[in-house]
Amino acid sequence: MTHIVVDPVTRIEGHLRIEAEVDGGQVSDAWSSSTMFRGVEIILKGHDPRDAWAFTQRICGVCTTVHAITSIRAVENAIGAEPPPNARILRNLIMASQMVQDHVVHFYHLHALDWVDIVSALSADPAATANLAQSISDWPLSSRSYFTSIRNRVAAFVERGQLGPFGNAYWGHSAYRLPPEANLLAVAHYLEALDWQREFIKIHAILGGKNPHLQSFLVGGMATPVDPDKQASLNMTSISAMRKLIQQARTFVEQVYIPDLLAVASFYKDWAGYGAGVGNYLVYGEYPETDGDGAPLYLPSGVIRNRDLSQVEPLDPAKITEYVTHSWFEYDGGDDQGLPPAQGETQPNYTGPEPPYERLNTDGKYSWLKSPRYDNLPMEVGPLARMLVAYAAGHPRVQEVVGYALGQLGVGPEALFSTLGRVAARGLETLVLAEKLEGWLDELADNMGRGDLRIHDNSKWDPKSWPKDCTGAGFHEAPRGALGHWVHIVDGEIANYQCVVPSTWNAGPRDAMGQPGPYEAAIVGNPVADPEKPLEILRTVHSFDPCMACGVHVLDPQGNELMKVRVQ
Amino acid sequence: MADSPRSLLVLGLGNLLCADDGLGVHAVESIHQRFEVPGNARVLDGGTLGLSLLSCFEGADDVILVDAIAAEAPSGTLVRLEGDEVAPAVRNRLSCHQIGVADLLDALVLLGSYPERVILLGLVPESLELDTNLSPAVARNLPNLVGRVVEEATRLGCEFQARESLRPDGSAPAYTRCFGPAPRGM
Repeated sequence: MTHIVVDPVTRIEGHLRIEAEVDGGQVSDAWSSSTMFRGVEIILKGHDPRDAWAFTQRICGVCTTVHAITSIRAVENAIGAEPPPNARILRNLIMASQMVQDHVVHFYHLHALDWVDIVSALSADPAATANLAQSISDWPLSSRSYFTSIRNRVAAFVERGQLGPFGNAYWGHSAYRLPPEANLLAVAHYLEALDWQREFIKIHAILGGKNPHLQSFLVGGMATPVDPDKQASLNMTSISAMRKLIQQARTFVEQVYIPDLLAVASFYKDWAGYGAGVGNYLVYGEYPETDGDGAPLYLPSGVIRNRDLSQVEPLDPAKITEYVTHSWFEYDGGDDQGLPPAQGETQPNYTGPEPPYERLNTDGKYSWLKSPRYDNLPMEVGPLARMLVAYAAGHPRVQEVVGYALGQLGVGPEALFSTLGRVAARGLETLVLAEKLEGWLDELADNMGRGDLRIHDNSKWDPKSWPKDCTGAGFHEAPRGALGHWVHIVDGEIANYQCVVPSTWNAGPRDAMGQPGPYEAAIVGNPVADPEKPLEILRTVHSFDPCMACGVHVLDPQGNELMKVRVQ
Repeated sequence: MADSPRSLLVLGLGNLLCADDGLGVHAVESIHQRFEVPGNARVLDGGTLGLSLLSCFEGADDVILVDAIAAEAPSGTLVRLEGDEVAPAVRNRLSCHQIGVADLLDALVLLGSYPERVILLGLVPESLELDTNLSPAVARNLPNLVGRVVEEATRLGCEFQARESLRPDGSAPAYTRCFGPAPRGM
């Protein structure tokens, strides 16, 4: 038996460590650990709840808007503020554009290299690549000379000796299966997607100011003035600029992302048989279509148990608890009970080895993540959960696009419960949302045209208008899945704050009953051709789009011969 | 060739929740409090956004990254790297978090839009623990770092005008970024 440690496994933020036992070329057991303590809950105690979003948006380096919005919703829920329709629409635009951008970046820049072999792309024939490109899409950048130039660009980059983003992968691994031309096509779109996301994210600058961190959030609504006639407001010029970006996004997703996804997937259909995980799915739902509590959501909420698509159970947040049996925390009432987040405790108790270490004690506590459970069951959250719940609930457009993808690949719905299903669901969700964005923009423009310029409910801004003691919960579907914040406010100050983030649902450790979390369960059974290069494990873990608490950000020039540090 | 004014981007990096890790963001905030930023410069809080910061580089001829830098020197020591020294420094990282900045610079190379000049200015951190406050050594030297950024900017053709001193002793007000904007009409 071989014991493999993959540390770290994410290409961006975080400190995720996977330990896996491999037996006979297959993973027989796995443990997922976050080695980074995340404790914004502790920092928030005593602060003004109206400021909480500014802290929570720093929890995760790449998920800033999602934690801001969830925090604001939790506080609004607690104090009874009711954001007006324009605030709802602005938030929908911010959230869905974030989702579209984030999913494209995940597919091309964080996950593609698990499936695409860059080095193989260098040996592709540009003419054959042009043929391939034209056979799967009408996207205009598909000429032989274009692919020649891309090949040369990548070759020059590789020759510089610094592989950079291409340096982490296992080139030449036997599990890579795309022909050189498909690899070159994917590399070309890797570069185009970089350019595209640089352009598309300007929609956030329009909605939230020039700073990369949106400044326009506000408990009770938004701080973005809307007025068709004012220069300094979100006006008709901004609407038309956003419309252009949204249309470009939709074209890119339709003509680049989806064709690439299906083309790549067609070479890896066996991955519809790996990585299923726990088979339970939880969705809070997102994109309110009207205002107030109980508004219909464009992507519905619900729970699916045991891969049963014949029924979607209504979500009851009261069934959510968190265990710390295998987490480096302690509960006052003992570590084997599950606590609902509203009564949650954040008391760190590190009992792990002194780093650097070779192995964690996985019989005991082994992660800084808690283990969230729904009705005591582990739940997968994220794009696959959302698409499955929408599909099973009869969402017309989701049923259509899922049916289309399954048809193109010649597989049935059971293929969705897999690593490949997770990758496909993310792409299909991107398509559905890219299509939906323009409708919200029209709704906003209509409201402005009718003279409804309200963006904020001022009635609850003054803490004197709040109950002396109140609690609230805010829910959101972030790109990586269901996100919840729970807040307890006493005398206008935060008395307790708990976040249950998507990666905690997915990457959390075993619970008191010994049930593995979604990552742990999904990795088991994966093939591992070369224990020195566990590419297959990365495929499954990356299919969840891991995003741990962003950690330490320090540049280290030590030990690098090229470097001279001038101390001044 | 006509002289068009050079454009400068000052980008503060790091996580505000992890003590000195966020010193680049604190420095940027302090610049905004103490100086008028000229029209040919942008001074932005990049946080830990990584690849999403690509659009900020658009049109920037010169870039000053401000960040925590690990070096064998006392906490709070000012460190300056330039040009070819920067990319290896962000790649040779203490944590995988750093991949964000390395990927960002690689993406600029790949897109053929790497700025003409990239300078990395920072301080050696003391604490990276969960804390919204800077350690004493870094807090003490933050004004030096800010001064150095402004000095470099001046050298690159961007004059930052000092605002009228807000306090009798000339100090900047306490860091106040973590307060949301007040609602309109209040």
